[in-house]
Amino acid sequence: MTDTSILSKTDYHTSEQAERLLKKRYRSEARFIFYGRLAIICALLILVTLLSSIFLQGYTSFYQHMAILEFDLKQELVDPQNTGDPEVIAKADYRTIVNNMLREKFPDVTVRRDRKALKDIISSGSDLFVRSAVMADLSLVGTRATIAVPLSDDADSVFKGFIDRTLPEDERRVKDNQLGWLDQLSEEGRIESRFNMTFFQVGDSREPELAGIWGAVVGSALTLVVTLLISFPLGVATAIYLEEFAPKNRWTDLIEVNINNLAAVPSIVFGLLGLAVFLNFFGLPRSAPLVGGLVLALMTLPTIIIASRASLKAVPPSIREGGLGVGASHVQTVFHHVLPLAMPGMMTGTIIGMAQALGETAPLLMIGMVAFIVDVPTGITSPATVLPVQIFIWADSPERAFVAKTGGAIMVLLSFLVIMNLIAVMLRRRFERRW
Amino acid sequence: MFLWIAVALLLIIMGAYYTGRGRAVSSVSGNYTALHSLPSYHGYYVALWAGLPAFILSIIWFFVAPQVLEGIVLSQAPESVTSLPPERLQVFMADVAAIAQGGIPSQVTPEREAAAEIYGSYLSVSNWLMFAVAISLAVAGLTYGRARIRPRLRARNSVESMVNLVLIICSTIAILTTVGIVFSLLFEALRFFARVPFTDFLFGLQWSPQTAIRADQVGGSGEFGAVPIFAGTFLITLIAMFVAVPIGLMSAIYLSDYASNSVRSVVKPILEILAGVPTVVYGFFAALTVAPTLRAWGGSIGLDVASESALAAGLVMGVMIIPFVSSLSDDVINAVPQSLRDASAGLGATNSETIRQVILPAALPGIVGAILLAVSRAIGETMIVVMAAGLAANLTANPLEAVTTVTVQIVTLLVGDQEFDSAKTLAAFALGLTLFAVTLVLNVIALRIVQRYREKYD
Amino acid sequence: MEMKFTTKNVNVYYGDAQAINNVSLDIPDRAVMAMIGPSGCGKSTYLRCLNRMNDTIPIARVDGDIRLDGHDIHSEIDVVHLRARVGMVFQKPNPFPKSIFDNIAYGPKLHGIATKKSDLEAIVEESLQKAGLWNEVKDRLGSPGTGLSGGQQQRLCIARAIAVSPEVILMDEPCSALDPIATAKIEELIDELRQNYCIAIVTHSMQQAARVSQRTAFFHLGDLVESGPTTEIFTNPKDQRTQDYITGRFG
Repeated sequence: MTDTSILSKTDYHTSEQAERLLKKRYRSEARFIFYGRLAIICALLILVTLLSSIFLQGYTSFYQHMAILEFDLKQELVDPQNTGDPEVIAKADYRTIVNNMLREKFPDVTVRRDRKALKDIISSGSDLFVRSAVMADLSLVGTRATIAVPLSDDADSVFKGFIDRTLPEDERRVKDNQLGWLDQLSEEGRIESRFNMTFFQVGDSREPELAGIWGAVVGSALTLVVTLLISFPLGVATAIYLEEFAPKNRWTDLIEVNINNLAAVPSIVFGLLGLAVFLNFFGLPRSAPLVGGLVLALMTLPTIIIASRASLKAVPPSIREGGLGVGASHVQTVFHHVLPLAMPGMMTGTIIGMAQALGETAPLLMIGMVAFIVDVPTGITSPATVLPVQIFIWADSPERAFVAKTGGAIMVLLSFLVIMNLIAVMLRRRFERRW
Repeated sequence: MFLWIAVALLLIIMGAYYTGRGRAVSSVSGNYTALHSLPSYHGYYVALWAGLPAFILSIIWFFVAPQVLEGIVLSQAPESVTSLPPERLQVFMADVAAIAQGGIPSQVTPEREAAAEIYGSYLSVSNWLMFAVAISLAVAGLTYGRARIRPRLRARNSVESMVNLVLIICSTIAILTTVGIVFSLLFEALRFFARVPFTDFLFGLQWSPQTAIRADQVGGSGEFGAVPIFAGTFLITLIAMFVAVPIGLMSAIYLSDYASNSVRSVVKPILEILAGVPTVVYGFFAALTVAPTLRAWGGSIGLDVASESALAAGLVMGVMIIPFVSSLSDDVINAVPQSLRDASAGLGATNSETIRQVILPAALPGIVGAILLAVSRAIGETMIVVMAAGLAANLTANPLEAVTTVTVQIVTLLVGDQEFDSAKTLAAFALGLTLFAVTLVLNVIALRIVQRYREKYD
Repeated sequence: MEMKFTTKNVNVYYGDAQAINNVSLDIPDRAVMAMIGPSGCGKSTYLRCLNRMNDTIPIARVDGDIRLDGHDIHSEIDVVHLRARVGMVFQKPNPFPKSIFDNIAYGPKLHGIATKKSDLEAIVEESLQKAGLWNEVKDRLGSPGTGLSGGQQQRLCIARAIAVSPEVILMDEPCSALDPIATAKIEELIDELRQNYCIAIVTHSMQQAARVSQRTAFFHLGDLVESGPTTEIFTNPKDQRTQDYITGRFG
């Protein structure tokens, strides 16, 4: 140890050179922090962009422009025999009534092509609206009634501001004459913007203005009920077995490894399983919530098992010892003392699993839930679709109005997910560590 | 029907419980201590006898009855139907069942309607039969169980061993699922490889699964070389990783080492929102917002960006994976012991020097494991690519062009008009098998790496 | 005796709790200062004030006047330089999961003490020699530092601290995780190092304090009870509490 050694330069750290290097090192520190912030800001910006783009594209689906028109509900058209029988009235030819109304309202339109264009400004389902108005109030038969019918999706977009009037006519979906009629109706105060109830009341339709998400919501609910009924008992039972009863041997090790791997299997593979086993082998009905629920149950099972095991693990051994100490059997201890304490955690895990299942699309495409289904499903074996699949179907449609529907459906789906996650968070907060 | 059976069974089971309990109590004339087990266990005992056999029967019936019905329908079906190849027969039966139950058949023909008539009548017979058998089994079980009640009956032990058995059966479902996946994929994939040689599939450079409708069509025989699909999957996964790894890792580092508690408690849950957004929503975002934007940008600087470019799908998939990478990295980074940070800080290292030169190298195995898990997730992701990536199997490394992926092909091959007898549908299962095998291997490796890493610092 | 550190009225708070009350203590150069006291008395906390390691604990707050060679360590010396000049050895050996060579070279590389490979090699050799580890590891500099035994790891950590040319070495119970033989080696090493460095050591063992230190400070419940030459504290303590602790009435 001589003074010539490098280590005896103890004044190095106060030297000019060290000072300069320090500045450089702090600059690199600042750069590093900047990258960190940049990463966070990027992620946040993307999230904001994602949500706002969905909102901007979707919010218009929640309102709809209606034309308030006067229909001549002639006795001979609606109920020629004057039976007053709702069944007869329901079967009347409302399409003609709608056409008569248009002819009466716009008498100048005589050319066939123009008449077709005129018809296109109101929804092709207008007759249904007239019918339901009549069915709601049978005294309207034989009178002139003012009834609101939806505009067609193109006409609706005119009032929503999606149609650029300055474009040349042949590049526009709404032609000049149609714009003229719409303007005329608007000036007469016959166009009204209303909350789009239809969207929440009906199933899918080829016409955007008549399409709703109710069918998909019911389908999702039925599917989730099946999923829950299967995966919750199975998942909890498996967790209880593995955590409380299972001997430590090869078999239980195999089950454990297997569960961890199942959790990472791509969801579409579960769809293939469903197709090959439930549909082709067992011959269960296609497109049914029953099969969708089965597939999603298998998919969410690992999530529920893992969460349930974690919450069983969190119950302190003293509770088990206490139970056994007062002479309860092993089974009694687990079911009477441990399980109630672990239940909130299991339920939280289950809700999170259900939220996953609610947002899942790919496996359901495999088992045919992607079909075009107009009717609201009535049971777990009737053909149905679910919210995410409905979103997928609409997102694929060429009509601009379906893009808005897609956005609207996404907003509905996201709000369900938010609610489910909030419940999970609340459960967790409420029951967190009571011992 | 099933609902009624369920309700009836439930009532019988409840009745059985009270019968058993009541009989146990009366057998010792209210002197509980003379009973081996608590009265409620006698109740459960009888309830199990009443419920379990009937339940098992219902399950078996539920799966077997359609097969039997199918046999009956086919035995009465005309020659034109019975001579159909098995795949077409399957479609036929599915349609028959759909017509009979008010579903949506793929087509309606006189044969189908006739068969549906037979199917429907036997279906109701089957349902009534099942109802009758299930109920009588339940009642018989109840009677038998009730007869066995006596004070010394070890009801608790019987019930508990039953509970144990049920738990064991439940825990094997997870295994059965895996077995089901493997067998269903393998079975169909083997049928595919019987038509298309394995090596052609794995190393072929042409993918055009459309088998010809007319003989003179190009690619009439269908080409099943999956290399372009694997390449497309790889390209999109790579792009996704380029987004997810830097952003996920840096935000995990920033949040765990720099951010104040208040920032962390706000930003972390917000980042987790990204993980909770359904993939179909990302798909919508990719297809309707990101892709057109990229195309417009590309156009403005003279680049030709395909409307279904790999870039759009990859970018959005990367965003989806950010929270995944970030939370895994967070775990891994926090597993590095504080003592190493102290050692580095004690030597006069700045925070970033500690992270880059001590923490990250120490955490590297864990981070690699996390990235492998993320890759496996990206490969298996379906909806984003189905909505935003292309269908045509281009063999290209240019991210501005459209490529297709394994999952996209599975969906396209199986959704829509299915021809069961074609190699086309079977190809989907071969792709599925490949996907399953690759993700499984990735997961096993990744989980092992992460586990070893954890053990090192425990 | 020349003083390296002078501290006046140092207070440390963890959140609302005060860990150290008004400690004023001077630490001499080229000598060993031992800090003793029962667990939780604040001796480690005080030690960590000297190279501002308490900054890494978010809830900790330090006030008071701490000077190294007359310069305020909070306002006049950059924390990076301070920690380079005031090295630290921790309770549990904490070598980096790198090779022995890289463990030692880490500090000098950071601070730019050595840029050439030959300089770096010289530093590694000299530090290991000073830490008395050279002969044991010179043939396996490339093997991981975590593969050494506990005592060797701790000497590696000392070598690592020496390698950045510090003036002061703080040791926070450096032998608490070691067996007696390894402890004896470290104590020997401390005695040698005192020729060139100012050393402050926190220890649980009074015997160790008596063996290695020239001066001793006794802490109790966050207060500095008394300090002075080691022989004096151990033979003739002024305060009753010191007396009780040394004779084993509590602690």
